[in-house]
Amino acid sequence: MKTNKIGSKKKRLPNPKRVFLYFLLILFVFLTLLPLWSAVMTALKTQEALIYSNPIQPPIKPSLDAFGTAFNELRRPILNSLMFTILATLLSCVLGSMTGYALTKVKFRGANTIFLFIIIGIFIPYQAVLIPLVQIIIELGLWGEISGLILTHTAYGIPICTLLFKSFYDSIPDSLINAAKIDGAGIGNTYLHVVLPLSVTPFVVTAVFQFTQIWNDLLFGLVLTGAGVSQPASVALLNLQGGFVTAWNVQMAGTLWYTIPSLIVYLVLGKYLIKGFMTGAIKG
Amino acid sequence: MVSIKKIITRDKISTILFLIIPIVLVIIFIYICIIWNVVVSLSDWDGLRPSYDFKGFGQYQKLFTNEIFLTSLWNNIVLILIFVPGSLVMGLLLAILLDQKVRKENVFKLIYLLPFTLSFVVTGFLWRWMYNVRVGVLNTLLESIGLGFFRNDWIQNVDWAMFWVCVVLIWQYSGYMMLIFLAGIRSIPESQVMAAAVDGASGFQMYYRIIIPQLKAPIFTGFVLLLVFALKAFDLIFILTGGGPGYTTEILPLTMYKEVFRKKHFSYGSAIATILFLLIMIVVIPYLYKTYRREK
Repeated sequence: MKTNKIGSKKKRLPNPKRVFLYFLLILFVFLTLLPLWSAVMTALKTQEALIYSNPIQPPIKPSLDAFGTAFNELRRPILNSLMFTILATLLSCVLGSMTGYALTKVKFRGANTIFLFIIIGIFIPYQAVLIPLVQIIIELGLWGEISGLILTHTAYGIPICTLLFKSFYDSIPDSLINAAKIDGAGIGNTYLHVVLPLSVTPFVVTAVFQFTQIWNDLLFGLVLTGAGVSQPASVALLNLQGGFVTAWNVQMAGTLWYTIPSLIVYLVLGKYLIKGFMTGAIKG
Repeated sequence: MVSIKKIITRDKISTILFLIIPIVLVIIFIYICIIWNVVVSLSDWDGLRPSYDFKGFGQYQKLFTNEIFLTSLWNNIVLILIFVPGSLVMGLLLAILLDQKVRKENVFKLIYLLPFTLSFVVTGFLWRWMYNVRVGVLNTLLESIGLGFFRNDWIQNVDWAMFWVCVVLIWQYSGYMMLIFLAGIRSIPESQVMAAAVDGASGFQMYYRIIIPQLKAPIFTGFVLLLVFALKAFDLIFILTGGGPGYTTEILPLTMYKEVFRKKHFSYGSAIATILFLLIMIVVIPYLYKTYRREK
């Protein structure tokens, strides 16, 4: 499909143009990875080794001290983040799937209007809802609680989840739905027995997308938990910096700890994340 | 036997059941919150105790004579002017490079996209270390390869701080743009490319004349997404510079956050948020309208 766009099909000899092409590609790889590489090298050094070495040089005697120190500070916040991220991801996926199904496969007037009304939520700047949001969460008694974050992330996740599921359900042929209807299945049963079994891919795509979004969030954590015990990892990372003003090795180690879960998701399920990015971009 | 009427009512009820929770959440957390935010901006809530006495548009008048607000607005514009074209060009460049039947294309793609999957919190800390003046990565690296005269105070430089912030954002967003453009390039019918090749178009010419003009849709999409993001950007600048030095990298979302959560100027902060919301809607509503019409 992608072969033979430009030039010939013949196997290429290393000509200067090709060499230059790969030189550029590798240069960009270097530029892309430099900050991460340097973070790993810095995190593996002790405070003294840091002073006497270049930040991109590997350490002579790698030390895991910085990782240990950072982990002690971040253990609780990382667990918090895992908890609300996983739960809010699941909830927003289930709601998005139901909405996407109802808006595509149940034919009713106004479905498109409702769809637009929902997906505008993808674009709104969170600053525009921040003060009322904090008030609502305080009123509900959920300020400083993990459940407050779960509710918030679920609610603001609905628009993008609806979009992702809808664009997938658009591609399920109506004949399948109609066949179920003729057999006497109602909307609920059709969803459970026909649509849901076909939804593995969109569930993975949306879940990976949402996991990344929620895990990466800073703003909601900042205004909804303060310095309490339910602090997310992103917020705790800020405080880590307060405690060790110049301890760059600990700061980098903490940053890496915080990156690991989303990095694993990306490396294992990157294909699905890419799909989510594309659907979100082209239609959104 | 179940009557047709019963089925229809049953279907109606289940449709409502399917949509009720998401719609209620969207109404409360998006629409009511936005309206409530406007109400706050018209009130005199300035301090710890909520107060909703109607005070009119005073806060908005205050905004347009306030130097920090005007600086933030201007910085937002500068950010857009550097970051949006920068990411588009870099994304296009990466997409074109990867379109040359590159070996291990997927590995390159995965690496280029990696920054986009990182949290802005992570990016913020990584680049603070990169930009650190005394012992940071860039300065030491330049020194060690004999380019010490390029040593720089990066984001601490009053004139250039915003530029270096944009560099970080371009670093993070190029891979995403590459993805969008690559999909666009690959969806151009092969026959057109072949025809152009027969006509003797090659290399640069091919892209300049045949391929790039056909990327209007993805470029437009990318443009809108970047623009919206540039208006909303908060986390990265919050961590990387905190708006400094001075107010040189302060942008609207950051000003709003500081006014509300540090100074407790609730109605003033919500006025900034309203302006921000309007700016974004000016971009998004035509975009959604266009996409929506295309789908019809």
